[in-house]
Amino acid sequence: SAAARRPWRLFGAMCLMRLPRITQPLEKEEEEVAALMEQIELEKSLYSDHEMRKLEEEEQLKRKMESLYDEDEARGKTVIMAQDLEEKWEQKFLRFKAAPRITDADKSNDRTSLNRKLDSNLMLLVKQKIGNQELWLLPQVEWQPGETLRSTAERAMAIFLGDHIQAKVLGNAPYGIYKYKFPRAIRTENNVGAKVFFFKAFLQSSDLSQADLKADYLWVTKKELGDYLKSEYLKKVNRFLLD
Amino acid sequence: RAQPKKKKKVDVKKEQAQKERMKKKLKKLEKAAPELIPIEDFITPLKYSESNRVRSLPPLSPEEAERRVLLLKKWCLFKQKQDEAEKKAIKALVESQQEALKELQLESEELYQAAIRRDEGLFPFEREGPSYTPPLPGYDPPEGKCIDTTKVYTQ
Repeated sequence: SAAARRPWRLFGAMCLMRLPRITQPLEKEEEEVAALMEQIELEKSLYSDHEMRKLEEEEQLKRKMESLYDEDEARGKTVIMAQDLEEKWEQKFLRFKAAPRITDADKSNDRTSLNRKLDSNLMLLVKQKIGNQELWLLPQVEWQPGETLRSTAERAMAIFLGDHIQAKVLGNAPYGIYKYKFPRAIRTENNVGAKVFFFKAFLQSSDLSQADLKADYLWVTKKELGDYLKSEYLKKVNRFLLD
Repeated sequence: RAQPKKKKKVDVKKEQAQKERMKKKLKKLEKAAPELIPIEDFITPLKYSESNRVRSLPPLSPEEAERRVLLLKKWCLFKQKQDEAEKKAIKALVESQQEALKELQLESEELYQAAIRRDEGLFPFEREGPSYTPPLPGYDPPEGKCIDTTKVYTQ
């Protein structure tokens, strides 16, 4: 019965994720405890060399002001005070401008750009024609005999993003499955429905300007998936996505 | 002519005796246990035990102590909830994968075998972690030289 045709059609789908580039903002409790830990560390510490120098120089200044005679100190050489050094370092720090955490793509809500939401995972969604409907799905393609399901998923990725995509597929095993039966109009004995197996991959090339994207695509976070995917499909996909 | 002969014999004997003494000394040194390499992190340098280094801060008020204890209790609860949520998510992930593999086995045995095979190319997996701000395009970091001053001990 190896030749008996199974009634389910197999599809391999790839969930391509762009991992976060910046750290997530701290929760309120985390910030409070971080401040407390810094305070405790300060209380338990001893003075460092720089602080000792600062204290000694303050003492010297005070004595100079009070006693008004500075025969010991006035030897003609200019001494750099620790306070001046600190101010110099502060100025240098203020002159440096880091890249903003909220990018332009965030502000304009451009969902096709990869530069959005740098602190969370972004998943690729493409618009595909299933039956006679155009749906937003994770890129999927039908399995052909002779290849493993993982290579089906990789082929799906290559079809939509081109061959030059560097992605690390996480293992040979599928992460989830979505089973559905075809509507009664096209259901036959041998063609009851389809099983879509999901694979996960991490995107490693950081810019996709060379990729020729053949269809409408979007990069969305886990929370935004609900705007595009159907509820049953979304339920199955959410099970294998960690936020 | 007898004298140079004596010199040679005496020299040879003296040299041999010296060599044996050296060998005995070497054996003694080797038998002794090797000196332990001091761990520099565990030895506080003496300059930090001076009393004028101690920080002078106002003592902790009882309200402050109270606030700290309550905050640590809240933190304990927060971390417990976070841990439980993580474990739940991992459990859902594993269940989803098991279900997928079960369905695959029902479909075709060879695809199932291909799926449960170990992926050799997955590990070692390296990735740079997230930073606080994204990389600035066109940033030129200032030049500098790093002089390594670690002490190397030989046993």
